Amino acid sequence: MEFLNFLLILWAAWLLWRRPEHERFAFRLLVISCVLMALLFLIGTHGSLVPGLNL
Amino acid sequence: MVLSEDRLRAVLAWVVIVLLGGPITTAVLLGVLNGDSPCILCWAERTGMILIALVGLFVIRYGPRPRYLGMAVLLGLWGTFMAIRHSSLHLARDVGQGFSTTILGVHTYVWAWVIYATVLLAIGVLLLFVRRLAPEEGIREPGRAGRFATGLFIVVVAANALQAFASTGPPPYIGQGDPVRLSLNPRHWVWSLEELQPPRISLRGAWAIPAPDPGTADPDPAHGPLADLPTLPVSGWERIGVPLEGHLSGLARDSATGRYLAVTDRWGVYLLDGTLSHVVHRVVLDPGFSVDLTPLAGAAFLGGDTLAILCTNKSYALLMPDPQAQERAEWRHFLSTDGQMRELGLGRFQTVRAHQMYVMSLAFDPSARELVTLSVPNPRHRQLVVSRFARRDMVLSSEFRPSLAPGLTPAGPGRGLADYLVTGATVADGRLYAVSAAYSTLLVIDLEAREVVSAYALPGLAHPVGLAARGPELLVAQEDGRIAVVERPEP
Repeated sequence: MEFLNFLLILWAAWLLWRRPEHERFAFRLLVISCVLMALLFLIGTHGSLVPGLNL
Repeated sequence: MVLSEDRLRAVLAWVVIVLLGGPITTAVLLGVLNGDSPCILCWAERTGMILIALVGLFVIRYGPRPRYLGMAVLLGLWGTFMAIRHSSLHLARDVGQGFSTTILGVHTYVWAWVIYATVLLAIGVLLLFVRRLAPEEGIREPGRAGRFATGLFIVVVAANALQAFASTGPPPYIGQGDPVRLSLNPRHWVWSLEELQPPRISLRGAWAIPAPDPGTADPDPAHGPLADLPTLPVSGWERIGVPLEGHLSGLARDSATGRYLAVTDRWGVYLLDGTLSHVVHRVVLDPGFSVDLTPLAGAAFLGGDTLAILCTNKSYALLMPDPQAQERAEWRHFLSTDGQMRELGLGRFQTVRAHQMYVMSLAFDPSARELVTLSVPNPRHRQLVVSRFARRDMVLSSEFRPSLAPGLTPAGPGRGLADYLVTGATVADGRLYAVSAAYSTLLVIDLEAREVVSAYALPGLAHPVGLAARGPELLVAQEDGRIAVVERPEP
């Protein structure tokens, strides 16, 4: 999924560079990528979502 | 000084170049040259940095629109959280026991913390000098630096995509918690869905340990985990004859002077005379400064007038009666005092097998000069652990899970010593005596053989909280201040 996320990011960067009039779509790709990144992190920490220390 | 929009975009282009050319390119090179392979958390942290760089490209292309700034701040905050969460896995380990690659002696997951904090700092500094934000329209020419930043971005992200393909695979495969070194040879690629094989989702994981509550324990010895225990009858009752601040939570007796040491769940410490009806000295500990003192759970005389007080979280206080104690100096230690007690120090016991377990008892072994605690079980750690700490330095000297001596048998499958909830302990004649609030049972433990040599049912108890030896007798203190007297079993 990390590979897929980098493809989404590349797509957004390409839009900025070559198709800047599609700002709204590029920004949506950015948001989707952020959500995917956060989701993957949460999957990696689902056994303890917050730091395993005295909080 | 005011930063024009054009100047801001030029500065930002260089920030993006530094972010891409510094940590993100270094991460790729560490993989290609050093075999360093990111775990699933590392991937998310690296992706977050790339997304911040992408937001920078948005600003370069469209100007500083509010939603870009909002997204950058959110990514910076989330990245800081990710770095702290990731670092927490390793920060508390012993010296040199971090995980994977270091740069300038600092591991990469800690560098992520530094980088995200720097990003937030840079955003804040830049915003200080921006006169106004851009309208929600218009496309800007990126300029020379902006074009270079965009080109570098595409190259660096493409390199990351290739590494991610080799290291984590195409969807639905995802990053691994424990990756293998990076190889460009497909034969060595490991694509895994292991992280999607969940244990339960938890906010605190192994740190979600509820505080012990002996009041909810079943006191009936007939329901206990050991079969066919003999009964030890109560031969008499005594009681503490003075009012206490809070409920009684621990009791010890000094065989040299006959005095008693009583502690309460409201941090009250009482040195009582041999009749239990006169307070010789009293203090109420300050639980907040500077070691967290959870409710007091145990007490012991360490010889030479030194008193040891134990809390459920294994924090301890050492006190000593002192008629010359200076009230001003002791004000910081005690919420109230009779003016004749001095604090020698506070500390925290560190355990290994009893890690993430509370304790509710303390004893002192005078022959070994060791303090002894017994853990109480919790939903995540169901075991009884005896921990011994050297009086000399208050550091763990040994730890064991006692076994059952021949003749003691579990009452059924899955039953065992972990079912007990020890709330009082004392050492006498080389034996450790422990009373359990669950199933009102007395355990006799041979400290050398590390086994429970005998156990006795103690019917009629209600919420025992402490245990003391008085010659041939054992005194079982209850939360209500009453004390059951039983004959101490012969070794």
